[in-house]
Amino acid sequence: MSSPVLQPRTRVTRIAQEAVDRARLTVVPRVRSRAPRVPFVTLVSLVLVGGIVGLLLFNTSMQQASFTASALEGEADTLAAREQTLRMELDELRNPQRVAQQAQEMGMVIPTAPVFLDLQTGKTSGVRTPATREDALRLLPPAPVKPAVLAPAPTTVVVPAPSAAEQPTTPATDSTATQKQARKNRNR
Amino acid sequence: MPSTRATGSAKRGASRGAPMMRLRVGFVLIAMVLSFFGARLVQLQGVDPQSYAVRAAAEGAARVTLVAERGDILDRNGVPLADSIKGKMVIADPSLTADRAPEIARLLSDRLSIDYFKTLNALRGRNEGSRYEYVARRVPSTLASDTLDELDAAGFSGISLQDDPIRDYPAGDVAANLLGYMGTDEPLGGFERTFDKQLAGVDGEATWQSTSGRGVRIPLRESTLRAAQNGTALRTTIDRDLQWFTQKVLAQTVQQYSAASGSAIVMDTRTGEILALADVPTFDANKPGEADEDDLGSRAMNDTYEPGSVEKVLTASSLIDAGKAFPRQRFKVPGVLQRQDRPIGDWFDHGMIRLTLAGIIAKSSNIGTVLAADAFSPPQLVSYLQRFGLGQKTNIGVRGETPGILTPGEVMTSQTKDRVAFGQSLSVNVAQMAAAVNTVANGGVRVSPSLIEGSAVTDDGTTVGTDVATRTRVISKEAARATAKMMEKVVDPEDGVAPRAQVPGYLVAGKTGTAQRVNPDTGLYDGSTSVSFGGFAPADDARFTVYVVIHAPKGEAGGGSTAGPVFSRIMGYVLGRYGVEPTGGKPSRLPVEW
Repeated sequence: MSSPVLQPRTRVTRIAQEAVDRARLTVVPRVRSRAPRVPFVTLVSLVLVGGIVGLLLFNTSMQQASFTASALEGEADTLAAREQTLRMELDELRNPQRVAQQAQEMGMVIPTAPVFLDLQTGKTSGVRTPATREDALRLLPPAPVKPAVLAPAPTTVVVPAPSAAEQPTTPATDSTATQKQARKNRNR
Repeated sequence: MPSTRATGSAKRGASRGAPMMRLRVGFVLIAMVLSFFGARLVQLQGVDPQSYAVRAAAEGAARVTLVAERGDILDRNGVPLADSIKGKMVIADPSLTADRAPEIARLLSDRLSIDYFKTLNALRGRNEGSRYEYVARRVPSTLASDTLDELDAAGFSGISLQDDPIRDYPAGDVAANLLGYMGTDEPLGGFERTFDKQLAGVDGEATWQSTSGRGVRIPLRESTLRAAQNGTALRTTIDRDLQWFTQKVLAQTVQQYSAASGSAIVMDTRTGEILALADVPTFDANKPGEADEDDLGSRAMNDTYEPGSVEKVLTASSLIDAGKAFPRQRFKVPGVLQRQDRPIGDWFDHGMIRLTLAGIIAKSSNIGTVLAADAFSPPQLVSYLQRFGLGQKTNIGVRGETPGILTPGEVMTSQTKDRVAFGQSLSVNVAQMAAAVNTVANGGVRVSPSLIEGSAVTDDGTTVGTDVATRTRVISKEAARATAKMMEKVVDPEDGVAPRAQVPGYLVAGKTGTAQRVNPDTGLYDGSTSVSFGGFAPADDARFTVYVVIHAPKGEAGGGSTAGPVFSRIMGYVLGRYGVEPTGGKPSRLPVEW
């Protein structure tokens, strides 16, 4: 294995002995490097400190981001819930029962038979039936029947009819008299 | 000198023991310590290493169930009949709240409108040492978190929130009998229960390592997320506004006649879609606990009753289809018809009268119908009625639907057949009867009714919905047309029994029914009646079929006078709502007498 290395050497010896002699290795005194060490140490320290601080900052920012994410998630939840609550309120406002009650209070009534108006010809089809108050739907269930204890029968007081002699002449006084009588009855 | 040195070292050696000895003692000590370590290692890694890993992970681990949102139940236009919103349950840890319970309870009961004393009990702990007490369930999320913030600000601790979705029925009692309602944790009736698999969805779960307290995620630590699969919405064929209207009109009449109950159904003639299916009395789906338990189901589908004279429509159309009768056919109708076991009478007193088949329908003569149906043997009549859908469930997706009762033709006596021909001795549910009448409206083709748009699978595995609706021809188009013409006579002011069922401007075909009711306890007729009216409009090109039945009305009540106006009102509304103009067709001119 060493022969290919040795071969050129012998050939060189033969061709340029002088040059080879001149190039012969000799021991030289060690050159003491006077390069300052401080910059290198500073650089390494800086890289180290920078790395550690960077890592710390990175970690902190991640933690910070995590806090922000939590806060934002919470906010998103709150907003979604608010939206749903509002939608529910809207749905309740659209409740046909509520709409009908308001419409009926405004005097509107659902007609018993439809009539169609053709906008192009201006003609109506169908029999025009008036919608009356009687057609209004009873929207609320009747009030529950109270037990007898809570709803006693009205007390009626029979007032004997005044005799012909007592009968006042003018109708005006008549009415005031009955009114008074009525008030008295109520007080009883 | 050397000797003294030697003695000195010997002395020292004696005080510390021989080096060999020290070495051994040292080794033994080290071996003991190491074997303790080894044993501990085996204990940790060899014996149940998982439990330690789990305990390590649990330290600071947060696990949250992501609650799946329940699917909405929609009407045919996508309006929600039932929807879910985010809600919270308020939970107290009595070990933290017991000391200041009265103050916290006061704030909570004020804000959440809950009972003060119950809250106080929860905050003090209902059981000794309890650390988890429900204070309130299904509180709207915004209200709950606002209240919690207020508690935090006031310096109270020990109250926490957890997800607890709220089911809301925005229209209260509209279609409540179909929708059903939710219990504390599970659906208890109606569509909510039948289609729970589809509506419920699958809860997800998230885990992460958190800093204690606020539950903030520690970044770069293990975290998992299995997203919740929300439930799928269920679309029904119900029209919410029409359903509301139907319920109101029906309720008004049921109250007016102090009736026990009533049902009404509106069907699209061509598609069989049920636009409204009302039950009275009903309940508020948001407060099912306040309702009578008997009102919670759908009487229309769960209870059977005898249909009465509306069934004559089916008998007459079958006879015409079989070529055994025609509308102008002449019958001599006696005042009483003696049959094998008992005499058959009519609702009105008459001597011998001469009616056509159209007249028999218009005047609702039992005797006339029996005479006409003599052309049928029991199996022939029953086979027609079965094809009309009687005696079988409609499978529209309502729980506990009754199939009704229809005696098989082979075992039906001729007496029973006589009564079946005019609608007694057989029983039906509302959807069956409406679909049967609708067959006549739809030119003789029976469309199976449906309540679910598209398709859905019930909890017993049946697929229901418009996708699986079937069409079968029951009677010929001509027979259906002829029957419709006869039914027009029913609402005729002069010839018919139900002029109040008319809708001004439209040709209406219908049939009244007044049937005796069977007392479910005794199995006998108890003297009360079920009055009904079924019909369709416009009679010459039917778009909608409406069927109304009112059970046990008090006072003067009949199919035409009680159920007829309900029919007219509902039909008038639905025709206007769907923009169906009068057809302008000519009214039926069939003779009723001869």
